[in-house]
Amino acid sequence: MKTLRALIRRNVKLFFNDKGAFFTSLVTPLILIMLFITFLGEVYRDAFVSAIPEGVTVAKSLENAFVHGWLFSSLLGVCTVTISFCSNLLMVSDKVNGSRSDIDVSPVSPTVLSLSYYIASAISTLIICLVALVICFIIMAFSGWYLSAYDAIMTVFDTVLLVLFGTSLSSIINRFLSTQGQISAVGTIVSSVYGFICGAYMPISEFAPAIGTFISLLPGTYGTSLLHLHLMQGVYKELDGKIPSEAIEGLKTAFDAKPEFFGHNLNEGTMFAILIGSVIVLTTVYVLLCKKKAKKK
Amino acid sequence: MENIIEITDLKKHFGSVKAVDGISFSVKKGELFAFLGLNGAGKSTTISVICGSLKKDSGEVLIDGIKIEEKPDEIKSRLGVVFQNSALDKPLSVYENLRSRAALYGITGKQFENRLGELTELLDLKEILRHPVGKLSGGQRRRIDIARALLHSPEILILDEPTTGLDPQTRQTVWAVINDLRKSEKITVFLTTHYMEEAAEADNVVILDAGKISAEGSPLELKNRYASDTLTLYSVTEDEVKSLGIPYNKTHDGFALTLKKTADATALITKAPHVFRDYELTKGKMDDVFLAVTGKTLNA
Repeated sequence: MKTLRALIRRNVKLFFNDKGAFFTSLVTPLILIMLFITFLGEVYRDAFVSAIPEGVTVAKSLENAFVHGWLFSSLLGVCTVTISFCSNLLMVSDKVNGSRSDIDVSPVSPTVLSLSYYIASAISTLIICLVALVICFIIMAFSGWYLSAYDAIMTVFDTVLLVLFGTSLSSIINRFLSTQGQISAVGTIVSSVYGFICGAYMPISEFAPAIGTFISLLPGTYGTSLLHLHLMQGVYKELDGKIPSEAIEGLKTAFDAKPEFFGHNLNEGTMFAILIGSVIVLTTVYVLLCKKKAKKK
Repeated sequence: MENIIEITDLKKHFGSVKAVDGISFSVKKGELFAFLGLNGAGKSTTISVICGSLKKDSGEVLIDGIKIEEKPDEIKSRLGVVFQNSALDKPLSVYENLRSRAALYGITGKQFENRLGELTELLDLKEILRHPVGKLSGGQRRRIDIARALLHSPEILILDEPTTGLDPQTRQTVWAVINDLRKSEKITVFLTTHYMEEAAEADNVVILDAGKISAEGSPLELKNRYASDTLTLYSVTEDEVKSLGIPYNKTHDGFALTLKKTADATALITKAPHVFRDYELTKGKMDDVFLAVTGKTLNA
């Protein structure tokens, strides 16, 4: 236990000390913020305003809450996975720079070592994402807060679940990497592609049907959808009664609060089940891989 | 003295490459053992097998009488390894590095602080404990590597080319540290090096070539067996040198004669004492031994 704790502390410190890895992990969220500032923010604002019937006025704070809710849920959806991938690349860079050889000559068990990478990656990602979430909450509190206590708590829960999802997925993939080139390739691919395939850069409803179907097969999508739902649900509730329910449903569908799986609408519980199930399956696969490696040794 | 490492018919192949091809040797407790060979000769593979990082194909490796596959963790606790390239975490401080590595051996808290205190004194680390490893000089980093290898008080210290790339002064410092350690901790040192003058200080040497042992023995035995002595005569005429009947080379100050063994010099002195007014007898060097054994020279 002491060894595990010491290794976790080392791994977390190394990630935060490695400026390259740290900033690479922030590339996707930074792209998203840039896109939002340059044009996406206005596009979403226009979409919201156009859904409001003529003659109905809604508070500016509600408009802000809608736009910020979408941006922040997208940001968190992306950060949780891309940061966990980058922080978990430590298990590969340890092989590249020789630290792993140094660790392997000690009597530390391979299982403890694998576990230390997993937990450290989850902790590093959680620290960044929870700090980001607090900043998001502060901005929303000033620009327009319509979240219920349930929504706020569930947003934290979604974030934790997505961090575990990203950590377990990256643990499996990174386990097979062993060179600097592979580190760069995986870091770049995940950072640039994940924002699209989880429905963070643009709503899944905007994609062509075939791509939409493909994205619906990826469990991470439902984590982002849960965040969309919890950070924007308060806005939809506030709109209830002020604008026709069809308009609200239209907004929900357009902004991924009601994702579909082969034509079936998925509710909150089903999305949680998919995400939790994915975390359990991926973590089990990782543990089995670790055990297989330990046996081989 | 009893053997602390005993290797019998060790084989390790990578596909068709016979990295280690049936080698047998032993290392005595407390000795400085030098393991020589060109890159690719099989030194690192042998070390990896000893350390338990690589599985052997066949043969037996005993550390203090214990088979490595039977109690791998116990064996690992008896070994300290200094890698050719520092394997510590460059962004972290010396203290953080040593603390995390000590924890790999279950050494934490007060126990770690006590051991750190001993090593700080032994290796003069006080000034650099809080510095990031990446900002240290080559010599300082080497001292930290040695400290890391000694954290768990191993019985055997494996040094894989510990002075390669260091300037002569730093090499001297590193060797002073190693020699102090041998005295104070009675540790067995298993050394691989490209510097023949370092190998010349060893108690025993094994020369590896293409996965097989080409020669082994003490440096003196190897020099006697494989290298010639050089007898240099000063203040003599060329005719006097010719009268000895031994091939010679003219040098700046005198004449150099190559002799197969030291006894040949004794015979010459007895035969023609008047020629030996001013002379020097130099034994063969380990470089000559290596060249004679492998047909190749070692370049650092």
